[in-house]
Amino acid sequence: MLLRILGKSLARRRGRIAFAVVSVVMGAAVITALFAVSMDVEDQVSAEFRKYGANLVVVPQSDTIEVGFPGVTFGSVTEQGYIEEEDVWRIMRISWRTNILGFAPFLYSVVRADSETASQDVVMAGTYFDKQVEIIDRYSPSDPEAITTGISVINPWWLSKGDWIGRSDDYKSALVGINVAEKMDLELGDTFSISYEPYGGGNETTCDVTVVGLVETGGYEDNQVLVNLQLAQDMTNKTGKVHTIQVSALCTGCPVDTFAEEIESEIDYVEARTVKQLVSAEMSMLTKFEGMMAMVTMVAMAASVLGVTTTMTTSVIERQKEIGLMKSVGANRRRISALFLSEAAVIGTIGGVIGFIVGVFLARYIGLSVFDTAVSTNIILLPMAIGISVAVAVAASIIPVRRAQAVEPAVVLRGE
Amino acid sequence: MSAGIISADGVTKVYGGGTRALDGVTIDIEEGEWTCIVGPSGSGKTTLLNILSCLDSPTDGEVIIDGATVTGLSQDELTTFRKQNIGLIFQQYHLVPYLTALENVMMAQYFHSIVDEEEAEDVLRGVGLGHRLQHLPSQLSGGEQQRVCIARALVNEPSILLADEPTGNLDQENGRKVLELIRSLQKEGRTIIMVTHNPEISRLGDRIIEIVDGKVRSDLRTREE
Repeated sequence: MLLRILGKSLARRRGRIAFAVVSVVMGAAVITALFAVSMDVEDQVSAEFRKYGANLVVVPQSDTIEVGFPGVTFGSVTEQGYIEEEDVWRIMRISWRTNILGFAPFLYSVVRADSETASQDVVMAGTYFDKQVEIIDRYSPSDPEAITTGISVINPWWLSKGDWIGRSDDYKSALVGINVAEKMDLELGDTFSISYEPYGGGNETTCDVTVVGLVETGGYEDNQVLVNLQLAQDMTNKTGKVHTIQVSALCTGCPVDTFAEEIESEIDYVEARTVKQLVSAEMSMLTKFEGMMAMVTMVAMAASVLGVTTTMTTSVIERQKEIGLMKSVGANRRRISALFLSEAAVIGTIGGVIGFIVGVFLARYIGLSVFDTAVSTNIILLPMAIGISVAVAVAASIIPVRRAQAVEPAVVLRGE
Repeated sequence: MSAGIISADGVTKVYGGGTRALDGVTIDIEEGEWTCIVGPSGSGKTTLLNILSCLDSPTDGEVIIDGATVTGLSQDELTTFRKQNIGLIFQQYHLVPYLTALENVMMAQYFHSIVDEEEAEDVLRGVGLGHRLQHLPSQLSGGEQQRVCIARALVNEPSILLADEPTGNLDQENGRKVLELIRSLQKEGRTIIMVTHNPEISRLGDRIIEIVDGKVRSDLRTREE
């Protein structure tokens, strides 16, 4: 019977109900759109930011030696430090390891590159491209976990042409920065030689490598030749040594500083530096976006509450005789409340569903016009939009419902 | 005071602003009696009916209905008591405009206990509206609307029926039908209290209580016991 009363009552007041539904739709649409944009764009913004490189760089602690006499300082020299390659995997032992996308160690050396048409000194960077690394868990050391990491994982956008070096024991392949390729007239498939002569003299080592890919980052890598770490170590006689480790942490709200501290305690002779400008910019933009989202949501919710309250109050005033009659034939305050709150729930549900649909399109528009990206809406937002809309509609009806509860049948039924 | 089905003892009603609508009314109504309350406009007869029907509470005095003291009960307690014991018939019918005749009757069942559509149809047939079950109030004549109102009052089988000017908005023919219906309900054993300003109609009852300025001016029986 409640459904009959509800259905007919709503159908009879379609115009007013439509007004309330529209106000709920506004709120639900804004909430849906902003959550969709927030969820989708946050990920995309994070990915965009990560394109600029790793957000943590691990370097060895530098040993600085003062040079001069007592009281007279000429300056200082810094001894070249290294990180042991066998310690690199320990980065994945920090408590925030699930937030670490991957890492890549680097060993840099200046080498001479000779192609058929040119010869010049370039920086050779030995690194991991796509390497399987075993992580020994502190709590189950006998069951190591293998992960794949390297620059193809943390910086996949570096490769502009060709392929990554697929195997870590491939000594015959190299990736070449686009500036190097241009100056030395190198293309995919070309072979050139790299030679390393130790500082201070010694036997020169030479190796022929084939260009399998071109790298374009807009950074230093454009001027480098990238080879497997093992090759770089062998050529420079720095077996098991690396200079730096780049770490890519997925971080839209987690404390990167804490990552750094944990890495430093895990490998006690390194310093982990956050790429602070990058991280703070990332945080700042996302924080601003979330702040804006919260503000717009509150305004939209307030508009919804106002719309529903107005409609329900008008409804109670117009239906005072009906309420009085229902009370006179036995409806207690709970039944009267149930009737009006059910109406509010129906308004909230309809508004939530329509608002979700409108919100999906709104999200796409915002995504394309503001973030220049296509936003996909997660279906999980539908029950959320309905839930929030129903809650808002019901909350907005509390004052009108109290007014309905207070209707005195003796007064309204005699028309006073 | 004797123990009738309805007893009002020194009932006073003072509205906000000091208007004294009832002033120490004491009446005692027997079970199965048809009592007509008469009086000029503003005399307090509707206020008395509202108090006897538990729609309103007296400022002072005591009301006992079917052995239960109803003065001092909360609004929800009065509502519960009313739906179990009292049926109300209004001058303006007060039907829900978007519900059919049948649904208006079923609504009273819903707020009372459980909905029984067949029973609601039977009651409507009993007041001569078997052919108007699915009509909206706007599609019914005044007399038919009043009979829907009576059916709604009857469907939960109350022992007491209170009617406020039930023929006030009806033409003579429809008024006669409604009064015949009320007579038949009394014959079934129900106690009827009816407010009217029409002296001719009041003489149809067993008893006429005249209220003037909130006080019982006269209390007459229309026929010898």
